[in-house]
Amino acid sequence: MHSELDPLTRRRLLQGALALGSLTAIGDAVATAREATGRAAARLDWNAILRESRGQSVYFNAWAGDEAVNRFIGWTAAEVRRRFGITLTHVRVNDPAEAVTRIVAERRAGRLRDGSMDLLWINGENFAALRAADLLYGPWADDVPHAALLDRERNPTIVRDFTIPTEGYELAWGNSRFTFFYDSARVARPPTDPPSLLEWIRANPGRFTYPQPPQFHGTSFLKQILLAMHTDREPFARPAAADFAALSAPLWAWLDAAHPALWRAGRAFPASGPAQRRLLGDGEVDWAMGFNSAEASRAIASGEFPASIRSLRFRAGALSNSHFVAIPFNARARAGAMVVANFLISPEAQARKADERYWGDATVLALERLTPADRALFASLRMGPATLPPTGPVLDEPHPSWMIALEREWARRYRGG
Amino acid sequence: MSGLELVAVELALHGQPLFEPVTATVPPGEVLSITGPSGSGKSSLLAFACGVLAPEFTARGDLRLDGRSLLGVPTERRRLGILFQDDLLFPHLSVGANVAFGLRDGGSRAARRRIVADALASVGLAGFAERDPATLSGGERARVALLRVLLAEPRAVLLDEPFGKLDAPLRDAIRRLVFERCRERGLPVLLVTHDAADVAAAGGREYPLREPPTARPAND
Amino acid sequence: MKAALLLAAIGLLPVLAGLAGTIAPALDPAVWPELAATPGLSRSIALSLGTGLSSALLSLALAHGLLAALASRPALGFARALALPLIAMPHLALAIGVALVLAPSGLIVRLLSPWLTGFEQPPDWATIQDPLGLALVAGLVLKETPFLLLALTAALAQVPAERLLLQTRTLGYGRLRGWLVAVAPALQKQIRLPFAAVVVFGIGNVDVALALGPTTPPPLAILIWEWFLDPDLTRAPLAAAGSMLLVALCTAVLALCALGARAGGVWLRASAASGWRAERDRGARGALLGLGGLCALLGLFALLALWLRSIAPAWRFPQVWPMAPGLAAWREGSALLGAALPTTALLGTVSVLLALLLCVAAAESLRARPRARARLAALLFAPLLVPQLSFLYGLQVLLVRLRLDASWLAVVWSHLVYVLPYVFGFVAAARAAIEPRYRDVALTLGASPVRAFTAVTLPMLGRPLLLAAALGFAVSVALYLPTLFAGAGRFATLATEAAATVAAGNLRAAAVAAAVMATLPLAALSAALVAGNALHRHRRGMPS
Repeated sequence: MHSELDPLTRRRLLQGALALGSLTAIGDAVATAREATGRAAARLDWNAILRESRGQSVYFNAWAGDEAVNRFIGWTAAEVRRRFGITLTHVRVNDPAEAVTRIVAERRAGRLRDGSMDLLWINGENFAALRAADLLYGPWADDVPHAALLDRERNPTIVRDFTIPTEGYELAWGNSRFTFFYDSARVARPPTDPPSLLEWIRANPGRFTYPQPPQFHGTSFLKQILLAMHTDREPFARPAAADFAALSAPLWAWLDAAHPALWRAGRAFPASGPAQRRLLGDGEVDWAMGFNSAEASRAIASGEFPASIRSLRFRAGALSNSHFVAIPFNARARAGAMVVANFLISPEAQARKADERYWGDATVLALERLTPADRALFASLRMGPATLPPTGPVLDEPHPSWMIALEREWARRYRGG
Repeated sequence: MSGLELVAVELALHGQPLFEPVTATVPPGEVLSITGPSGSGKSSLLAFACGVLAPEFTARGDLRLDGRSLLGVPTERRRLGILFQDDLLFPHLSVGANVAFGLRDGGSRAARRRIVADALASVGLAGFAERDPATLSGGERARVALLRVLLAEPRAVLLDEPFGKLDAPLRDAIRRLVFERCRERGLPVLLVTHDAADVAAAGGREYPLREPPTARPAND
Repeated sequence: MKAALLLAAIGLLPVLAGLAGTIAPALDPAVWPELAATPGLSRSIALSLGTGLSSALLSLALAHGLLAALASRPALGFARALALPLIAMPHLALAIGVALVLAPSGLIVRLLSPWLTGFEQPPDWATIQDPLGLALVAGLVLKETPFLLLALTAALAQVPAERLLLQTRTLGYGRLRGWLVAVAPALQKQIRLPFAAVVVFGIGNVDVALALGPTTPPPLAILIWEWFLDPDLTRAPLAAAGSMLLVALCTAVLALCALGARAGGVWLRASAASGWRAERDRGARGALLGLGGLCALLGLFALLALWLRSIAPAWRFPQVWPMAPGLAAWREGSALLGAALPTTALLGTVSVLLALLLCVAAAESLRARPRARARLAALLFAPLLVPQLSFLYGLQVLLVRLRLDASWLAVVWSHLVYVLPYVFGFVAAARAAIEPRYRDVALTLGASPVRAFTAVTLPMLGRPLLLAAALGFAVSVALYLPTLFAGAGRFATLATEAAATVAAGNLRAAAVAAAVMATLPLAALSAALVAGNALHRHRRGMPS
């Protein structure tokens, strides 16, 4: 097959990027250089971009597993049409990975422009894969006007996505912390570390489960347990290598002990975070998990959860990351995509996103850099009964290679039946 | 030469001849009865005359009407009316619409309706125009089928055992009606049948089909 | 003739091109050991083969059994009337509905709890997604039995079944035994292709397995589907190799089925002379009818559960009627449905109209050529004998290269591949059943061929055309993978939305999409039946 990106080359690219960490090293150097010289003067002629974007159609590939998220994107579409004359279409995907597949297919087919996607919701391994294969447009993300408001200091995940430097190839638009939801009517003393959670599971057989990896909620659960079992988390910032077996051993021991007492005895798993949320809502299990505690409050408000549902995070810290938008190398409406991205991190959009009536996702902005009027938008936010404040210890995402290694090992151990 | 002429007509199924070549003339107002057992190719002969012979058949010879060959003339322009043993009234159309289907173009809707009504009345079916053909008796259906053919103003009529399915008393009446109407109009009539009574009633000549020396039974 | 060639080209080109496109990456020798190293691969394969084959055989046995038990009885019409809506219901929607009925927190356990079972919480039973795939088999049987029932009924038109059966019964044979010995062998030839399609769908489907199949490990088709969608770019050749494995498995199973049918024929002929009459089969017939009734009931419950789930914000166990039912999910879904519903309806309408046009033209040109007609029908059926996954990926790459992905042309074409076999089968059979001399009569009466066609042939085809249109529409509405791949994920239809939401586990949104998706073809079918009856209301001579 004639292709500039034959499978072997891609495999080498990916392995090169993930296993050797060369990108990390280069990225480090670049990031340091940029920090040293301060924020580079905007290289984008924003007025020209605004002019160009008017009338453009922007296809936004975004995870559609949560109706609140879909509604927020719907609101965004209405706003950018009104303000900028941009037609934003939400291309609903189950898994951000689908977009990666599509870009690769387009690259293989030699479609170097007029690609089918303009903006992607992305982070972690997907970003790493696309960067490694050089399939993203950029750098642009550090140069859109609202990027100056980002809270890079307190949220290092904004510039380091699963340890990979973003380098202006993606723009953070939300922060997430891994959160457990549980039924307080059935869980008297909420466990906040892996051993006590295991104890609860074995005392209540059939009432706990987790989404099936490689669905990202499921993989995140594995990482959350793994990281909470280690006090020295330095090795996880490096690509998974020879030490993978030793470092991950406690996780497998924990899972081996837990699985017989899981829902369906660990022989079936819910398909996703939202799928497990439904099980909790219907009373099939007592636990669910997500990246956003407001999700539980919203579900209580809508009647999906009983009022006794609460959220908790592990004492050792919550797995946390940022999520981003990126522009594929062959996007048709680059200007429009940048305008939409910039709007997504505008104080107004961020305040709505942080409002748990709509979404309830922590903002990426540094509030002290906002005008008083904009700051007021955030001050009036209310929190529901199951919402936790975006504070407390955090666990940084490990290098993306850990994710792949964990998923492979999980599949090897538990998926073959 | 007026009338219908068959000139050395030969039919073969998959290369196998069905009967010895047929040469015959039917003058206007007369009936020629072609007879033969079932499977002898009688019906195929009429299909050949109409120009609707199935592709697995091959034909030789000529067919002339009033001196002009009909070969190569599309079926709808040959103006040969045909009546089958089954009346083949269109089941989705009313009795009147079936008759009107045969009626030549022209005239106002009211005029056409009147012609159809009169025609139906002339065979004792007054007021039948709106009826569903499926509700008619065999004799009634046969009369409707005849009207449909006659109103198409054919220049010759082909009869494919048209009386075979009717009860005996009814059969005579219909037979008489058909031959009478055709004779009135001076139409040459080609009848194929295996019923001797048909031949007698037709009053014309009989032409028995002869099997070719190596004939095999064919689908009639 | 030209129409027939065009039809064959439209039906087959995408499949051939797609297969070629999928084979290419599978030729990478490095990928086969990787495929072999997939955890649980052998169990995945066993699951696919086991569920696919057993569901197909069960469906065939049940369809035969029901026909035998009901032959020349008025209830047969009733059974057929029940089969049509089940056929029209998309696989995916039906599977989601069945999951909502069978799950431990599903409708059945709710109806029995707590008064009978004592359950205050749903039991931790694997009634769906069970490791053996029994729920998957049940879902497939529910969907395929009506299809085979209808296919057998169509084949019966060419067999004097009632007289044969009467003959055997007067000789002292039981109904089932008589059917097996005298009627079933005569239907064998006509049922071959539909049965093969059922086998291949059972082995290669994603739609039903997604909702009802096990996940540790899943059936092979689900593995391949996941690999195609995997962000890890090295998985694409793996998926291609997996697809080829799927094709090989399907081919092997079909060959096995052919052998089995032959062996079965030999056994039948031998046993026919044995004099074994099995005249006391009341119990067996009762069991068959009960099973058939159960299927109908399960289908009805599935539809009911979809609607209940879609209006239930919370559906705490063991409520049967959800607390505070409301249209929240519908409001949430309205934006989505607002886009997906018109796209689905338009896609179905355009596909069906094109299919009717092509099929009527081809059926007309082949009206007197039964052998050519049968060959074309078999050709058009071929795509149903190839697992969808195996050529859609290659087709997608090709479409992207031609810049046709996500175009209406591509999506409609991909739908035609699946709509044509059904529409042509229906239309060609109906056209061939029309007494050819009607047309001859019209011509001898002076009607031009065009007028003979429009005034005689077409109206007589009216009712079958309407039914074919409804069936084709149902097929189009149900298509998930073809829409996903040819539409580049940009064509949001009810099927893609239902699949996306069910895969994401958002059962409430999935229920909304599936409820509409299940109802749309039913509405089309009812409309076709009503219009068909109105069409020739006062004409008893029109076959219904």
